[in-house]
Formats: sequence, structure tokens, C-alpha cells
Amino acid sequence: MQDALIRKLESFEELTSADREALRGFASRVRQVGARTDLIRENDVPGNVHLILSGYACRYKVLADGQRQIMAYFVPGDFCDLNVFILDQMDHNIGTVSACQVVEIPRQAIEEITARHPRVMRALMWCALVDEAVLREWLVNLGSRPADQRIAHLFCELLLRLEAVGHVNDNSYLFPFTQTDIADTMGLSDVHVNRTIKELRRLDLITLKSRVLTVLDVEQLKTYCGFNPNYLHIRNTRWSGRRQVPWLSSALGG
Amino acid sequence: MAGQDNVETLVVLQPISVDTASPDQVGMLVIANGLLVAVLVRLDAPEHARCGSWFLEVGLGRLAGARAPTFDTLEDATRWMRQRLKR
Repeated sequence: MQDALIRKLESFEELTSADREALRGFASRVRQVGARTDLIRENDVPGNVHLILSGYACRYKVLADGQRQIMAYFVPGDFCDLNVFILDQMDHNIGTVSACQVVEIPRQAIEEITARHPRVMRALMWCALVDEAVLREWLVNLGSRPADQRIAHLFCELLLRLEAVGHVNDNSYLFPFTQTDIADTMGLSDVHVNRTIKELRRLDLITLKSRVLTVLDVEQLKTYCGFNPNYLHIRNTRWSGRRQVPWLSSALGG
Repeated sequence: MAGQDNVETLVVLQPISVDTASPDQVGMLVIANGLLVAVLVRLDAPEHARCGSWFLEVGLGRLAGARAPTFDTLEDATRWMRQRLKR
């Protein structure tokens, strides 16, 4: 089960067997969490970092009038928030979408592994960087793309993110999100989400049956929404030799 | 609260066909005290969760950006909009 995390980190950094061993030690406290359950709520004092082993979760806020806004989706191998343990108080909620296996990692464990395993540290920094890049892309999506392209973009992103952790078969992946989830993510009404998905089906770009989303023509769907996967930084290992973080190496004693 | 609104907003519905890039075409212009404030569209496409209900396709002025539920009847929709326009 820890393979999802190791696979994800290895897409950013080449890890040694010692690194992998240390990461396997992470998953000692696995918790089964039902669908639609909060892992941590706004105003809570965060103690642990949550890592999703299986299932989907999301980050969201609820406005005074009850309107929910989802700001991030988490898939297997994702840290719900690598930095929340530094916060005194949560400023948002993290909840499951489908049933999840979640690892709770105490702050100390993160500090220990990052102090002893600089490659893991760099990979975790990559994760944080990519989370931020995804958030930027979502901002662009919400502010500048029309509804149909917005949703197509989300489908493309999920395809690539899930593919990177081995959760895509024949361009199909589990899609437990409801139309209301998508509406609350994309700042649209349920009605517009419904019409858009129908249009994407009509164009033979996707099918969505029994909570399985299939992208029928990946290139066409990417073209349709102008998808550029650069912000996901998924295939960066080939550049790892050239990447240097000298200040980090010296801080860690080499 | 009720005393503050002695004059009821005059809401007039006027049928109009609407291009929603979907089979939902039957619509109503909503005119409140002579001003266009919204366009309602009937959800006729079979994929909708509540087929036959009315949807606030567009809101203007105080209804701009409002996320409304879908309404079973035009009366329900009008009542909801009236409350919003009072504020």
C-alpha cells in the first residue's frame, strides 16, 4: 500500500533502498475512513499529517450561507497537507469523498525522515511545490476557462495524476465525485455540470458509467481544454542529476 | 420585517426561447418592477435530476451570481426571487 507514496516520490527523486525502507516504516498507523467523513475540520488543532493510501479526499471550506467550495482533490499517494502540522489552527476542512485508507503521520516522523533522508526531503518539497502548482492551475481554470473546458481540464488532470500512481487502466479511473462535488469544485451549478458532461459524452471524449470515468480520446480531450501537463511535473526524474539544492545539502550536513 | 415591505415587487414572467447549448430551451424572462432581473429555464433534458423543474439560468443585479436551487413550479421560483429582491 505504501507503494503509491514511494512511486509518487520516485517520480520526483531517485530514492535509495534505505529511503524506501524508511518510507515503508511510515505506514504503521493506517486508518480506514468511510466516505464523506471529515479527517480534520476548520479550527481544529492539527497534530498529524494525513497521507491517502487508497480512495479520494478533498480540501474544502464552507461559507456562512452553507455554500461549499472544494479547493483540492487528493488521490492515492497524496499528502493532504504536508505543512499542516506547523499550523496552530486549521483554516479549512479535509474530508474523504470515497472510503479511504489513510495514514496518520506524527509531525516527529516527518522531521526524522527528512533529517536523515535528504532525497526524501527533496521529493517532499517537490510534492509541496506541485500541490501549489496545481492550486495555481485551478485558479486559472476557475477564472479563465469556460465551464466545459474547466471540467475537461479536471478530467485530464485526474487522468495524469492517477496514472502516475498506477490507478488508471485503459484510460479509465474511479470517479466517485457527484455532480454537486464537481459543481462545488468548479464554481458552477449542478445543472451546468450535468449539461457539460453530456456534451463531453456527445463529443465522444469521455464516458462516465457506474462511477468509472473513461477518457475515450486523450489527445482530443487535452486539445479541447488546452491542457498542458507541465504544472504536474510528473516526469522529472530525468532531470534529477541536474537539480541541485546546495543550501539544503549543507544544512543537512551533505 | 414585514412592515418594511408594504409595496410588493411586481414580477412579470414573459415566455422566451433560450439557447443553453442543451435541449433545455423553454424559458421565462423575469421582469421585476419593469427591470429584467433573471432568465428561468425549464430543465427538459432527461439527464437532469429533477426533470421539468425550473432553473435560474442567469441572474442580474441583486440576483447576479446567486446559486439557487431548482424549483418545482414558477410560483416557487418567483417567491424565491421576490425574497432576494427585497433585501
